[in-house]
Amino acid sequence: MPPLDTHLAGPARERSTGALRVGRAGTIYLDAGRITYMECARTPGAERLLASRGRVSEAALRRTQADGGCERLLREGPVTLGELQYCVLGAVLDAAFFLLPAAGPRPKFRPGERHWLGGRWYFDVAGLVRECARRRAHLASVWPDAAVDTAPVRVSPRLRGQGVTLTDVQWEVVVAADQEATPLDLARRLGRTGYAVMLAVRRLAAAGLLLPDERAALPRRAKRLPKPGPQDAAEPAEPRQQVDVALLLRLRKALEELA
Amino acid sequence: MLGLDGCLTEVMAIPGALDAMLVDHTSGMAVAASAFPPGADAEKSAAALTETLRATVDGLARACPGDTVRVEDVLITTDKGHHLLRPLDTLFDGPLVIYVRLDLERANIALARHRLRAISAELLA
Repeated sequence: MPPLDTHLAGPARERSTGALRVGRAGTIYLDAGRITYMECARTPGAERLLASRGRVSEAALRRTQADGGCERLLREGPVTLGELQYCVLGAVLDAAFFLLPAAGPRPKFRPGERHWLGGRWYFDVAGLVRECARRRAHLASVWPDAAVDTAPVRVSPRLRGQGVTLTDVQWEVVVAADQEATPLDLARRLGRTGYAVMLAVRRLAAAGLLLPDERAALPRRAKRLPKPGPQDAAEPAEPRQQVDVALLLRLRKALEELA
Repeated sequence: MLGLDGCLTEVMAIPGALDAMLVDHTSGMAVAASAFPPGADAEKSAAALTETLRATVDGLARACPGDTVRVEDVLITTDKGHHLLRPLDTLFDGPLVIYVRLDLERANIALARHRLRAISAELLA
């Protein structure tokens, strides 16, 4: 399956306007060949991000979408143009992070469809691909193990030291982590971008504030158990233990004589 | 109504402004940038300035125990110029950071800070 950005080359060259549906994974909206919006089933959309701080509710946003659209949203002023652009930027990059590398069914292009919040800020495919690669590299530089991105966030109940500093997102993650929610679950719940939460969780992992992942720890521990085999049968474990005890007794005796 | 591009134009209109940038603090991404001088890379500068701000906040959090750190702006003066960073609390994620490099001789820091405050108020409700 070719990566998604090759499917975007056609509509971009032909300056098409419409929506490219990538199965159930998400949708990419284009206006005259330029990307205006991207949504991904796994990450919170712009509406969720806008509603997260409580200034405007998701229900109110849906009403505005049905009646008046983006013009009215900006005119009536719960959201400024700068905020809307910044929010769409965050949502689109977040969606691109998961959508662009996904190899799914061949996407379907529906001409004419637009996203109601799109068109206030434009994205080019090369820029999106570059930024996603940079984000991936940054995540890896913070904590190399990508398993924490998809595992349930389990925060360590005790600190190894006396104090720690947390960022605002880390604080929200620690408060909301219920031992079951994954970073992307938390992102949708908190109304934060998936990337912000994944980054916060990787920093928590790097600081040793997460419990080790059970799925990873169990097989590793099992491997360390001695395997019953011909060698073990020839030389059982018990005599070896007795040798160790004898050695310790001799050592103690030698130390006592020295004293 | 002021958008991100308009904001950048306003910041560049501050007397003594040499170059300016809007940075997404979460990812360290340059959201919008003025033309940078040759040899400087907006993308790399954005990522590095993000780390500067993060280190500053971390340092302050350790230095003022009992406080939640809320940075209004950061001013760094070098022998070549002034650098102002202003984080803006946005509706979600962020903060969005305005960065501006100012001429050592021509810039007036008090005026520049005042202008940045006014521009931020216009950009975000």
